[in-house]
Amino acid sequence: MGELEWQCRLGADLMTTALVDPAPPSPPWRPWGRLRRWLALAGFSGRWAVILPPLLWLLVFFLVPLVVVIKIGFSASIVGQPPYLPLLTFSPQGDVQMTLHLSNFIFLAQDHLYLDAYLSSLKIAAISTVLALFIGYPMAYFIARSPDRLRNMLLMLVILPFWSSFLLRVYAWIGLLKNNGVINNFLGLFHIGPFTLLYTDFAVYLGIVYTYLPFMILPLYTNLVKLDGALLEASADLGAKPFRTFLSVTLPLSLPGIVAGSMLVFIPAIGEYVIPQLLGGPSTLMIGRVLWDEFFTNRDWPVASAVAIAMLVAVVAPLLFLQRAQNAVVER
Amino acid sequence: MLDHPEIAADSRPWRDPAARPFVRIRDVSKKFGDVTAVSGVSLDIYKGELFCLLGGSGSGKSTLLRMLAGFEDLTTGTIEIDGQDMAGVPPYRRPVNMMFQSYALFPHLTVWNNIAYGLKRDHLPRAEIAARVAELLKLVKLEGYEARKPSQLSGGQRQRVALARALAKRPKLLLLDEPLGALDKKLREETQYELVKIQEQTGVTFIVVTHDQEEAMSLSTRIGVMNQGEIAMIGEPHDIYEFPNSRFVAGFIGSVNLFEGVVTEDEDDHVRIRSAEAGGDIYVSHGVDCAPDQVLWWAIRPEKITLTRDRPDAEFAGANLIHGIVEDVVYLGDMSVFQVMLESGKRLRVTKANALRGDPDAIGWDEPVWASWSGNAGSVLTS
Repeated sequence: MGELEWQCRLGADLMTTALVDPAPPSPPWRPWGRLRRWLALAGFSGRWAVILPPLLWLLVFFLVPLVVVIKIGFSASIVGQPPYLPLLTFSPQGDVQMTLHLSNFIFLAQDHLYLDAYLSSLKIAAISTVLALFIGYPMAYFIARSPDRLRNMLLMLVILPFWSSFLLRVYAWIGLLKNNGVINNFLGLFHIGPFTLLYTDFAVYLGIVYTYLPFMILPLYTNLVKLDGALLEASADLGAKPFRTFLSVTLPLSLPGIVAGSMLVFIPAIGEYVIPQLLGGPSTLMIGRVLWDEFFTNRDWPVASAVAIAMLVAVVAPLLFLQRAQNAVVER
Repeated sequence: MLDHPEIAADSRPWRDPAARPFVRIRDVSKKFGDVTAVSGVSLDIYKGELFCLLGGSGSGKSTLLRMLAGFEDLTTGTIEIDGQDMAGVPPYRRPVNMMFQSYALFPHLTVWNNIAYGLKRDHLPRAEIAARVAELLKLVKLEGYEARKPSQLSGGQRQRVALARALAKRPKLLLLDEPLGALDKKLREETQYELVKIQEQTGVTFIVVTHDQEEAMSLSTRIGVMNQGEIAMIGEPHDIYEFPNSRFVAGFIGSVNLFEGVVTEDEDDHVRIRSAEAGGDIYVSHGVDCAPDQVLWWAIRPEKITLTRDRPDAEFAGANLIHGIVEDVVYLGDMSVFQVMLESGKRLRVTKANALRGDPDAIGWDEPVWASWSGNAGSVLTS
């Protein structure tokens, strides 16, 4: 009796155990999950998938060429292939010897051509930026204040030149500006001129301002279009005439746009090569042209690299200044 | 009794037909393309008033305000401020300042410079500007916030800076577009009283645009109710609530029970209206400008109706008494709202103040009740 009872209880126990604790379900097969776990163990996460491509891009197309240029800049020029001394030499004993030639930089400092070219580039870029600002600001303002439908069309017109090749457009200016070009022929109808327009500094300014104007207009437009109309009304309401309102409200609030636009014009303009080469005269001195001559005419790669490094430093300096100015504006 | 300037709330100049209005709006219309935003508005506003333009969205109240400020041209009509025709006067030459709905504070300027902005435009001496700004900061209780930028302020603080900036030039007329609209409920109630206090202290004429009827009631000396670009009614808050002139005004301000009926008796001292909707007669104990058999409407506020379980003694020969069943009771703390289903199928809204705590005899759900009211409790509306 007792034994039977015990057996029954055992059976019941077994049954309940089976009911309560079924075999754990086999985990679903998730290959991606496993891969992710391995990657996580190796220190990778989803963030890397996002960060890695641009990081690789910068490494391969910016950092490596930069290092190569720096390397050549500290080398010396020889007649040969490649036309510079190697930076590292290996002796038969297995010693590694590194030779840094500072002569290129000393040469840059001694020959005033390079400083002149840099200052001239700075001047041309600065004047072009100011001109682009004075032409671009009213245009951006007008576009931002136009009714919606017109606005999109006007923006389209600003971007339209980008649909044709930059080089083609610069060549078109040659056709317009040359002595028997469109402008001088037109003026000739009234017995005016001809004027020497092409191969002058004027043509360079014209080319740079023309080419980079959209880069000034677009950031200014995005800034001005956000300007709250109620602020302008409030200013008028408090007794400010329209020009006063512009000076006290519109202009300070559009300062970030001015800084952004100026940077987008100034930085490419300072190293501009094509425009001064095609439109400028022999006296138009710009660092980009000097670099080109050094590299292709003189075949002096180390000096050309030194010029490039010096220019990079010289461009980064005003850039940092502008960046800081912009941050200050944004914070305020 | 106080040393504050004499204000319209005390003298009520609109009751005096000889009083000269400070702002005179005559037949003003405004069209945007085909859309008529404001049509044929005529309005007199007196010195020292706190006048509310009340209306729903699209009623034209903001457009009217913007026309006063000079931001919109008038399609027709004239606006005179202090006897001067404002036609062709640009905003920066008007003796008017505006407080914007979005406040429109200059984000690049400090609180101090925001308030001083208008004073600088007048080329006042520096010392005077400083003194005036300090005075205003004290008025709006923002001392110590001079150097902050608007982005470093709370919503309520921004509202006060906007008010101070608008008051800085001591305008003859201050326009306020939804001045309390962006504040939360509790802050709004506090600020309402502040606003009235500041108006009384400065004596400036205020025109306030609002869609909030409670705000309009508590702020203003008079209210102009706007509907679809037209002024529906102008009156003191009390008049607007107790003696609305149309079904729109009655329904827009507060809640109301509305019955359609036909005039059966039209005497000098009383009117009797037969209303199928009410399921009985309505006795009005004063004369009404109407004709016998005319169809009109009768409106009564929920708090003017008494509910009883037992049939009260017939006071008006059986009129002003309807039977119904309580369908719903909503307890709101200070009062309860009863929804009474009438025999006609119409629902009657009745409110009763909860004067007793935990009243054991309170009327509850599904109880048959009698609703009654006095002879002058409701308004007769002909439009």
